[in-house]
Amino acid sequence: MTTGTTATGVARPAPSRPGGEDVFRRKLARLGWGFTAPALIVVGAVTVFPILFSVIMSLSNVSVTGNGFKLSGVTSANYAALIHSDLWRYALTFTVVYAIVTVAVEVVLGTLIALVLQRLTVGRGWMMALLLIPWSMITVVNATLWGYIYNPTYGVLDDILSYIGLGTPVVLGTPVPAIIALMVADIWKTTPFVAIIVLAGLIMLPRDLFEAAEVDGATGWSTFWRITFPLLRPTIALAVLFRMLQAFGLFDLPFVLTNGGPGHSTTSLAIFGYDTMIADFDFGPGAAVATSAAVLALIGCLAFLRVFRAQVGREA
Amino acid sequence: MMRSRSRKGWRRVFNGVNLAALLVFLFLVLPLYWMIASSFKTPANVGAVPPQYVPHPVSVENYTVAFTRYAFGRYILNSVIVAVVATVLVLVLGTFAGYALGRLPMRGKFTLLVMLLMIAVFPEIAVVSPLYLLLRSLGWLNSYQALILPYTAFFLPFAIWILRNYFLAIPHEMEESARIDGASPVRTLWSVILPQAWPGLFTAGIFTFTACWAEFLMALTFNSSNDFRTIPVGVALFGSQFTVPYGTIFAASVVAVVPIGILVFVFRRSVVSGLTAGVVKG
Repeated sequence: MTTGTTATGVARPAPSRPGGEDVFRRKLARLGWGFTAPALIVVGAVTVFPILFSVIMSLSNVSVTGNGFKLSGVTSANYAALIHSDLWRYALTFTVVYAIVTVAVEVVLGTLIALVLQRLTVGRGWMMALLLIPWSMITVVNATLWGYIYNPTYGVLDDILSYIGLGTPVVLGTPVPAIIALMVADIWKTTPFVAIIVLAGLIMLPRDLFEAAEVDGATGWSTFWRITFPLLRPTIALAVLFRMLQAFGLFDLPFVLTNGGPGHSTTSLAIFGYDTMIADFDFGPGAAVATSAAVLALIGCLAFLRVFRAQVGREA
Repeated sequence: MMRSRSRKGWRRVFNGVNLAALLVFLFLVLPLYWMIASSFKTPANVGAVPPQYVPHPVSVENYTVAFTRYAFGRYILNSVIVAVVATVLVLVLGTFAGYALGRLPMRGKFTLLVMLLMIAVFPEIAVVSPLYLLLRSLGWLNSYQALILPYTAFFLPFAIWILRNYFLAIPHEMEESARIDGASPVRTLWSVILPQAWPGLFTAGIFTFTACWAEFLMALTFNSSNDFRTIPVGVALFGSQFTVPYGTIFAASVVAVVPIGILVFVFRRSVVSGLTAGVVKG
């Protein structure tokens, strides 16, 4: 007679006395918390605690003293300054629009690449490996490389454009081309990530569905929209949210490639926060910027959670 | 008859899919080629107009400049120290947490895992300023621990996810028999579970190392003095705003990027499985 199953559904041998199983499980749970505690303490100390601290800082007057800092009073001045700052509003809009546009392009391109690679007959393993190279590249290096490509005097882009008769634009010198140039550099590095995720999702789809569709005479296009895409949707949604949250933190690329310019056209929230805090040593307003970035990410996270729950629910 | 068959053979290689794949290949490879080729131009030819599509003459001067005139060797050393120590810490803490969250009957496990995943994707800018003030008060700015500690915390959640997925897949019977033999839980983890979880540890290790290797915002903020710069900070601060020594930067970049690229290329299977761990498997 077995008296219970574990969380994983494996029956354990009967305990010697009634209730023993419960005691054993409670002991294991305690052990589990013991094993998890060190990791949670480290993560909490360096992430959760500073986020809370940042919120407190944003609500008080911060003065940096010799070797430390002082918080005094409760004030809404930091947020008032933020709301009246055109630059903050621009940075927020820019960050959100940038994230939406780049991620949309990445998902379309990444899905196309995944569909191509799935059907590839020659060198598929090599292509998969190649996809990982841009993903593994240091973003700062990626930014410098594209800066060289876009260079107005000796850049290869202008050489190619003038060869095909499109003139030699100063790509990074005017706002809209600079933003597009930034997006291209980002898309080159991160599309492979989306492609890998989608390809992994594609490989896990049940094959008999597609065989049935083929027997029924469905065309490639309608098979994609009626079978492949609906099944892939949770995978794609998760890839999108992962990338969106990453894009909200956009920093390395504009810092190196455009330094937030020309003017302020590529100033993301993170660049703005960095300039306020580290360059100008304005910690109160800086904390308010950081908090606004955190709120934006939190909104993204809540959306993430919904999609995640939905997917797990479907699997169960 | 003959003709149609030969046409089919031709089609096997030159079909739409393979041509599209060729485009993807060029899209991925051309920028990489440009970086590597440019690093082998002479410093003067890096700025040649029109650009040299093939370096001529081939020169390694950029490489010698990166290591002699700039302290690039020092930056590599700093990056290696920070990334190795943080990765070891992540693996030790992550193994215990991943094992517990994967196999032990804890209440609220799922909520905890989702919260960890959220932290893994949270923007760094939200924590940089309080951490900066904290490290400054401790006198830890420009030190190795100023990066090791935040990296460990920031990259731990994703490692826990990867490890948990590997631990979940190990059969329960072995653990049972170890327990019946009277082995303690720590001993069971060490001598029964761990030997089977090597691929997971390896994958989590590659991920953590790559993330530490590339991290920029915290490295720039906490460790900007020349002695403690990591590779990304060194590369970003080479030269000035008006003259960017691209040749030197590309030589340094090739040295910094190629080893990781080879590592990822060789162990692509485990990297792909790790990448999809948080997303596809759920």
